[in-house]
Amino acid sequence: MDQVTFSVMMRRLESISLEMTQALERSAWSSIIALCHDFSCVIYDAKGRQLSVHDPIPALVTSLELVVDAIEEGFGDDIADGDIFLCNDPYRGNTHVGDLVISRPVFVEERLMFWLMIKAHHIDVGAFEPASCTAAARDTFQEGLRIPPLKIVAAGTPRLDVLELVLSNVRLRNLVEGDLLAQIGSAERGRRLILEFCEEFGLETVEEYGEEVIAYADRRMGAVIERIPDGSYRGSGWVDSDGYAVKNVPVEVTVEVSGDQVVVDFEGTGAQAEGGFNSSVATTLTAGRIPFLFYADPDIPHNQGCFEHIEVRAPKGTIANPEYPASTSCATVVPAAMFHDAINKALAAAVPEMVHAGTARCSNVPQFFGVDEETGEEWAMMIFNNCGGSGAVKEADGWPLLESVAAMGGQKALPIEQMELLYPVQVEEMEIEPDSMGFGTTIGGFGVRFTIRPLKGSMHCITFGDGTANPPHGAVGGTPAIGGGQFVEEAASGRRTYVSASGHVLVARGDTWTGVATGGGGYGSPLERDAERVRREVRDGVIGRAAATEIFGLVIGEGDDPALDAAATRARRAELASRARPLVEPTEPEAATWVEENLRPGDLYLENPTVD
Amino acid sequence: MSYRIGVDIGGTFTDFTVARESGELLLWKQDSTPDDPGRAVVQGLAAVAEQLDTDVEGLLGETELFVHGTTVATNMLIQRNGPTIGLLCTEGFRDVLYFRDGYKPERFNMHLPHPRELVDRWLRIGVPGRFDPTGEEVAPLGEDEVRAAAAQFREAGVRAVAVAFLWSMLYPRHEQRAAAILREELPGVDVICSADVLPEIREWERTSATAMSAYVMPKIREYLTALTAQLEGGGLASPLLIMQINGGCARVPEILARPVNILASGPAAAPAAALHFAGSVGDNLISVDMGGTSLDVCLIEDGRAAMSREIQVEGQPIGVSAVDVHSIGAGGGSIGWVDAGDALRVGPRSAGANPGPACYDQGGTEPTVTDANVVLGYLNPDAFLGGRRRLRDDLSRAAVDEFVGGPLGLSTVEAAAGIVRVVNANMVGAIRAVSVDRGVDPRRFTLVCAGGAGGLHAAELARELGIEKVFVPLEAGVFCSFGMTVTDVRHDHVTALHQVTDTIDLDAVNATIAEMEGAARAELLEEGFTEDEITLEREVDARYPGQVHEITVPVPSTPRLGPDDIATLVGSFHEQHLAQFAYNRTTMPIECLHWRVAAIGTGAAAARPDAAAEAGDVQPMRTTEAYSTASGEVEETPIYDVAALGVGASVRGPAIVAAPTTTIVLHEGDVLERRDADGFLIEVAPAAGAAGGALTGAVSA
Repeated sequence: MDQVTFSVMMRRLESISLEMTQALERSAWSSIIALCHDFSCVIYDAKGRQLSVHDPIPALVTSLELVVDAIEEGFGDDIADGDIFLCNDPYRGNTHVGDLVISRPVFVEERLMFWLMIKAHHIDVGAFEPASCTAAARDTFQEGLRIPPLKIVAAGTPRLDVLELVLSNVRLRNLVEGDLLAQIGSAERGRRLILEFCEEFGLETVEEYGEEVIAYADRRMGAVIERIPDGSYRGSGWVDSDGYAVKNVPVEVTVEVSGDQVVVDFEGTGAQAEGGFNSSVATTLTAGRIPFLFYADPDIPHNQGCFEHIEVRAPKGTIANPEYPASTSCATVVPAAMFHDAINKALAAAVPEMVHAGTARCSNVPQFFGVDEETGEEWAMMIFNNCGGSGAVKEADGWPLLESVAAMGGQKALPIEQMELLYPVQVEEMEIEPDSMGFGTTIGGFGVRFTIRPLKGSMHCITFGDGTANPPHGAVGGTPAIGGGQFVEEAASGRRTYVSASGHVLVARGDTWTGVATGGGGYGSPLERDAERVRREVRDGVIGRAAATEIFGLVIGEGDDPALDAAATRARRAELASRARPLVEPTEPEAATWVEENLRPGDLYLENPTVD
Repeated sequence: MSYRIGVDIGGTFTDFTVARESGELLLWKQDSTPDDPGRAVVQGLAAVAEQLDTDVEGLLGETELFVHGTTVATNMLIQRNGPTIGLLCTEGFRDVLYFRDGYKPERFNMHLPHPRELVDRWLRIGVPGRFDPTGEEVAPLGEDEVRAAAAQFREAGVRAVAVAFLWSMLYPRHEQRAAAILREELPGVDVICSADVLPEIREWERTSATAMSAYVMPKIREYLTALTAQLEGGGLASPLLIMQINGGCARVPEILARPVNILASGPAAAPAAALHFAGSVGDNLISVDMGGTSLDVCLIEDGRAAMSREIQVEGQPIGVSAVDVHSIGAGGGSIGWVDAGDALRVGPRSAGANPGPACYDQGGTEPTVTDANVVLGYLNPDAFLGGRRRLRDDLSRAAVDEFVGGPLGLSTVEAAAGIVRVVNANMVGAIRAVSVDRGVDPRRFTLVCAGGAGGLHAAELARELGIEKVFVPLEAGVFCSFGMTVTDVRHDHVTALHQVTDTIDLDAVNATIAEMEGAARAELLEEGFTEDEITLEREVDARYPGQVHEITVPVPSTPRLGPDDIATLVGSFHEQHLAQFAYNRTTMPIECLHWRVAAIGTGAAAARPDAAAEAGDVQPMRTTEAYSTASGEVEETPIYDVAALGVGASVRGPAIVAAPTTTIVLHEGDVLERRDADGFLIEVAPAAGAAGGALTGAVSA
C-alpha cells in the first residue's frame, strides 16, 4: 500500500474513534462519564486486534482483545449483524466490574470486519457498598453484578429483559440506563462511519491497511525497545495494603530486554489480597504494556503492533494474577499503578531519559453516595478533582490531576458549580497543595487540597487509592512526593479522623471531608533546577521557603515577590552538591510521613475503615 | 457616492476592502505597524482615498459602514506581552485557571507543556463570600480582604483586575460590590466582572473569559479610543464597528464591556463573505480559507454559520458564543516530512513567510505544499503573485527529493503528488470535523474555497468528500476583509432560567424572552437600524432531566409561546438528540437551562458590480507540463487566463486557470464555469470508481 493512502486511512480511523468519544461524552448521564470522561472508544479488527484509538485512557484500552476473545468463545458462530454485546466480567477478559464494555461487531457485505469497543466506568454496578470500586470486597460476589458476554441487542432488537436484569441490580438505575444507551448510540455512530470508510476504500484496501498499520506500529515500537540495552532489570514497590490487615504488599518486577522484545515478569509479587486490590488478567496485561507506550514517540499508533513486543507473566495466587473468586474491584489503579511505577524504577538506570518519576496512584478519587433528606433521592458521584499529579520526566515537569499512569489525565475534574448544582454538597476549597510534589531538576505535578461538605443528610465516602504510606518515587536524584491523605473533620469539635488511602467513612451533615492528594515524584537533582523558576514558585506559594532553601539551595530575599541572590545561591548549591541521592527513592516501605506530621492531639487515624 | 469599508489588521499586512455603491471593489494591502497598529489604518485610508480621487475626509464623510477587525488582542495573547493583571476570586478557589478541566490532551506525551495561566498565582487572590446555587448567601463578602487584595495589586502594579466569583452568573451582588471597592482603591485600573462577560455556569470558562478580557483591556481601550478619535476627526459619519468572534460586529463601548469578543475574530467574517459570493449557489456552504500557514474551515447551514461555545485561544477557553471556525496547520507553507515509521506527513510545522517555501530561495530547504504544487506544474514559477516573485522550481525539486522522495523511494513527481494528497487528507479531516463530526453530511454542501492556495486544492478536496460543487471567489486572497463589509451587527443575550417542559411556567419563559428581545431591539434601533432590518433568533440549551450536557435547539418565534410551541421545541430536541447521538428517550420531558436571543441588524445588501464581458471563444493562453491525477503522469495541460473568461464561459479539466490572487486546478472531468463578476463554479467530477474511489491516486511505493 502506498504511504499516502495509508496516512489518509490512519487519520480517518482516528477521527472515527474521536467522534464516538464525543458522542458518548456529550450524551451520557452520570457525571463520571459525561463530565469526568472515564471511558474510551476503540476500534478492533475482525481478528480482535486493537487498531485505532483517540487519546484514550491507557488502562481502559490496551487489553480489549480479551473481551473479544470471550465473546467469541461464548457465542461462536452466533455473532450476527445488529448484535450488541455487554460484558464486565474480569474473569472473562475485562479489567474490573465497574467498567461496562459495549461491543458492537461491524459487518460489511456480510463479513465481520471490525469490533467497536466502548468501555465506560459506571457509577454503580450493585456492589455491597454504594461504589463501583471497593477495597473492602472480599470476593467477586461482593463487588457487584458480574456480567459475562451477553447480547443486550440481538440482531437489531433490544433485549429489554436483559437490560432490566442489569438495571434491577444497580443503584441509580436511571443513570446507568442512560449511560448504556449513550454507549450503544456511540457504537451506532461509529458503525455508520466505518461503513462509509469501507465503502470509500473497498474491503480489500481496508484489510490491507489493517495489516500495514499494525506492522507500522510494530516497527516503531521495535525501535523503541531496541534503544533499551539488553539485560535483566529489577524494580520493586509496595502497595499500601491488601484492603484489610496486610500492609505493604510487595510488588516485584523483572524486565528482561532482548533486542526488540521485552518480558515483564511479576514473579515475587505478594500473595493475593483479601480485599479488592487484586489485578485481573486484563489489567496485569495493560500494566505490563502501558509503561512502554510512554517511552515511544506520542504519535505512534497505539495498536496491537506495539503490544507484540511485550510479553507479560504473572504467577498465580498473587495480586498480579489471583485465583477465582478473588475481588479485582479496584484493579485498574490498585495494584496496577504500582506495577507501572515498578517498571519505571527497574529501567531508571538503563534508560534514564525514558522513564518518569512516580505518579499518584489514585490519591485521591473519592466516591460519594448519599440520600437527599429532603427529596429522598439517591445521589452518587466519583470525582477526579482531588487526584494527584504525574511524575516528572527529563526536561518536563509533571501535570496536576492526572490520577495515575493508568489514566494519565484522561479523566476530567467536575466544574465546582456543576457539582453543587447536581449534588447536595458545598465545596469549600480546591487549591494546589504546596510542597506536595517531589522536587528535582524537574518537579512532579502538584497535588490538590479539596474540601467538601454534605448539605442534605450524611454522605458516604469510599476511597480505593494507594500511596498514603508509600509515596510516588523520585527518580534519577529527584525526591519522592508526599503521599498525601484524607480526613473527616467534625464541624462542632474540629476533631479530625485521618483515613488510610482506602476506606469507607460516613461524613455527617455539616462535617467536612478533606483530601490532600499527593503530587508526582521529582526527577534529577533539585540543585539543577533553574533558580529563577524556583524563585517564582516560592513567590507563587507552590514551593515553601524551607524546601527552596534546604532542597533547591536557593537564597532569596523577603517579601511577596522576593529577589534572588544568584551568587549566594550558587555557593549554597555547591555546598549541598555533596549530598548524594539514590537513583530511585524511597528504597524502603512506609516512607511517607504526611499523616504523622499532620495528626494533632485528639485526632484519630484509621486503617481501611468500613461502615456497617 | 457612498462607501463600505472593511479593514483587517494582520501580523504582516493590514488589508482594506472598499466597496462602492456600484459593488465595485477596491483592495489595498498596507504594511502593518505593530508598534502602533492604528497608524497603518490611517496610512492605508490615505492611500485608498488617493486612488478614489479624494482625500481621507472625503472618503470617511461618505462612508456608511466602517468595520474593523484586529489581531491586536489575539497577538497579545499569543506573544504573552500583555500587562500584569490580577484575579480576585472566591476564597479556596484561586487555582481555577491552573486546574482547567483537569484534562490533559496528548495522553502519551509526557513533555507537553502545561498551558500557562494569564495571571500568576501570587496575584490570584481569594476573598470570603459565597452564595449557594439557590441564591442563599452562605458567607458575606469579605470587604476588608478585598481592600487588602487591592493593596497587593497596587504594589504589583497591575493594570487590570478580573473579578470572578463562584455562582456570580446568578447572584452577581458580591462581584459588583468587590468591583466597586477595587475601582475606588485602584483608580485608573480596569476592573471586569465575570457576570458581565459570560453569565453562564462553569467557573473555568467564565473565569478564563474574564481574565482574557482583563488581559487585553488596557491596550484595546487605548487603541480603540485613539482610533475612534482619529476616524471621527477625519469626518467618519457612521459609528466605528468592530468585528466580533460571533460573526457580527459591535460598537466600541460594547466591545469594551466584553473584550473577549474580539479575540480571533478575523476568520469569523468568512461566513458573511462566503454567503455574499456564493449565496446564489445555495445557502449550505462550507467555507475554506487556505493561506500560508493555516486553514480555516466553517460550516454554513441554511445561511447560518455554525456556532460553538468551546473555542479556545492559546489554550484558554473564551466561553462566549463564537463562529465555529476550525483551524488546522495546513497551508502553502506546511512542510512535508517522513516520520520515524516511514509514513509521509505534512505539517503542522510551516516554513511561514520566512524562510518560506524552498522555491522562494530565501534559505528554506524543506519541501512545502507550495513546492509540491510547483513540482506538479500547477504553480507557474514566472507568474506567482502576478509575477512579483519568481519561484525557483529547481529548489522545490531538490527539497522534495531530499526529504520525501529519497527516503520513500519515490520519484520527484510521485513524492510531490504524495505531499498534496496528504495535505488534502488533513484538510478533508478538518472539513469532516465541522460537518460529519456534527452529524452533517457534507455532500449536500457547496465548498467555497478562498485564500491564495484554495483554488489549487479545491476540486480534489470536494471529490474526496463527495461534494459536487465548488465555488472559488475571484478575489480569493482578501476574503475576510471583504467579509467585514457585508457582515451584520450582532448582539447575543442569554438568561439562565431553569424549566422542565412538563411543568413549564410559560409566563416566566415569555417574560424572559420578551425582556431580552426588547433590550436587543432597542439597542439596534439606537444604532440606526430600522424595524425591518432587525432579526431576532431564539434558542435554548436543553437536555433530558438528569442528563449533564445540553444541546442548543431553536425556540419557535411565536410572539407569545404556547403549549404547541413547547411541543414543537420538545420534538426538535428529540430529533436532534437522535441525529447527533444515535439514541433518544422520547418518553421524557426536556429540561431547559439557558435561553438565548441573538439580535442581528442587517444593513442594505451590498450591490454587485456589472458582470464581466460575455463568454466568447475560450482559448488557453498556452500549455504547460502538469501532473494528472487520472494517469499519474505529467501531461501537457492547457492554462487559461481568467481575464479571457467571460460570464458563462466554461473550461473542462484537466486545465489550470490563473487568476490574480489564486490559481485553480481542474482535474479530469471537472468543469469550471465563470458565474458572474464574483467568481467561478466548478462541477466536480465524481471520484473514479473501483477500489479506493477518490483516494486511490497514482502514487505507489
